[in-house]
Amino acid sequence: MIRLIGGEVRKLFTTKLWLWMLLGAIVLTAIFMSFTIALDGAEGNPQPPLSTPEGQRNLFSVVGGSGVFVLILGIIGITGEFRHQTVTPTFLATPQRGRVVVAKLVTYALAGIGYGIVVVAFAIALALPWLAVKDIDLSLPDNGIPGVLVGTVVGLAVYSMLGVGVGALVRNQIAAVVGSLVYLFVVEAFAAALPTIRDYYKYLPGGANSALTGASQPGTTLLEPWQGGLLLVAYGLVFAIAGTWLAVRRDVS
Amino acid sequence: MTDESGQIEVRGLSKSFGTVKAVDNLTFSVPAGTITGFLGPNGAGKTTTLRCLLGLIGPTSGTATIGGRAYVDLPHPSSTVGAMLEASSFHPARSGRNHLRVYCTVNGFPNQRADEVLELVGLTKAARQKVRGYSMGMRQRLGLAAALLGDPRVLILDEPANGLDPEGIAWLRRFLRRMAEEGRTVLVSSHVLSEVEQTVDSVVIINRGTLVRQGSIAELAEHEGLTVLVRGPDLDRLASALPERATAQRQDATLRITGLSTEEVGHLAFTERIELHELATERSDLEKIFFALTGDSGGPVEHFGGEGADR
Repeated sequence: MIRLIGGEVRKLFTTKLWLWMLLGAIVLTAIFMSFTIALDGAEGNPQPPLSTPEGQRNLFSVVGGSGVFVLILGIIGITGEFRHQTVTPTFLATPQRGRVVVAKLVTYALAGIGYGIVVVAFAIALALPWLAVKDIDLSLPDNGIPGVLVGTVVGLAVYSMLGVGVGALVRNQIAAVVGSLVYLFVVEAFAAALPTIRDYYKYLPGGANSALTGASQPGTTLLEPWQGGLLLVAYGLVFAIAGTWLAVRRDVS
Repeated sequence: MTDESGQIEVRGLSKSFGTVKAVDNLTFSVPAGTITGFLGPNGAGKTTTLRCLLGLIGPTSGTATIGGRAYVDLPHPSSTVGAMLEASSFHPARSGRNHLRVYCTVNGFPNQRADEVLELVGLTKAARQKVRGYSMGMRQRLGLAAALLGDPRVLILDEPANGLDPEGIAWLRRFLRRMAEEGRTVLVSSHVLSEVEQTVDSVVIINRGTLVRQGSIAELAEHEGLTVLVRGPDLDRLASALPERATAQRQDATLRITGLSTEEVGHLAFTERIELHELATERSDLEKIFFALTGDSGGPVEHFGGEGADR
């Protein structure tokens, strides 16, 4: 299994996709944080001000939004094998296909943690000087920010695995990527906004991720961070198990 | 290396895709240490058979084993069987060397093994180049390099000559010969007999998913009857002197005789005191036999059962 994971790590780092996705995650984090800080206290902004612990937690929880990039990384990590037919040599080298999927899950979970650490470090490096300039005092660690940051790293690791699971299920790269994005940004956005349905938003993957990073959203209630984390892991496992089950049975032609 | 472990056995293999029967109760064996051509027109079920043999496709019924084991049950698949299937199973943005190194890691081979097989197929110069920039011939060579990574005793190659220029085909022939001389079992598919005719010991011919013929090239030619070509000034007398089991056809200045060997025709001409200017067998007739066996009239190869049936 160590060799299989080694092979997956090698696949990941011998094309440049990982770098582009990391850049994307950093840029998205920069945009979200910049807007949150720049618009702090602006008229009509419903967000709690950055001078409060809640506002500070929300500021750092936007980092979790970069999860979309590791989700795509995970999807491409497995659908790319089908797209470029490298799945043939992969399954020839390891005919026990379930082991291949498990190796990918582990590899992308580790990659997700790596991305999480980099993005969180970037977020701290961006926010601390800016907040200092604005004379906002971060009351570390009582404001709960360490929890938010740890939750972000865990969230990225699980999103990455979720991507592998979705990719194993769907196999078609474009369908998997587009489907996931539409789901996250259209379906879940609707679910969070519509009355009655929005009571269930907290049980959806995006809602669970928000809970994990401890953000508060106006008008919706979320699970406790640990509940969100467990739920997100459960989603990841369900997709991965279903994807593995199918990958073992489907013909590779 | 002529032990049982390199023997390929296909027994009653069938595979249907929906209503299309790609492979229908196919049985054949490839003895260890031989080089066998797996022939049939496009869509005959060659690729499906090979993919079943390699555990990539689950057969509807029947078995396909290598050394008595299904591919999935091989303890060290990459060191037992090397396979090259579709023309390109590479990530376009990965270099050929890195592609091979991935599978070195997975199999626990040292990194330098990648360079060794690249050398073996003559790709050393392009090793660090992205596969995107490879020509068809280079991709085929990289596929062969990947198949050789584990120094396997069995090689399974699906249409390796596809897309190769004449020079590439000549190179492939020498390469396959060398693999056979090293005692490996080689099963190489093609839809063109002439591509493999000079290289293989025997052939397995299939059409519409079923076995048409298995045997050596010589047996194939013998069974169907070789044509003997004769030229000379007095062909009419030779034609009338032929025994009943032979048939002759006059074509301009050439007499085409079937049912007799060159030795028999030569002997007949000697005893009848008929002058001959040329006495030869027609090599290209193998191609005609192939077309006759696969139900093709010799024109462009038709697709039986559509593209999907061969995949």
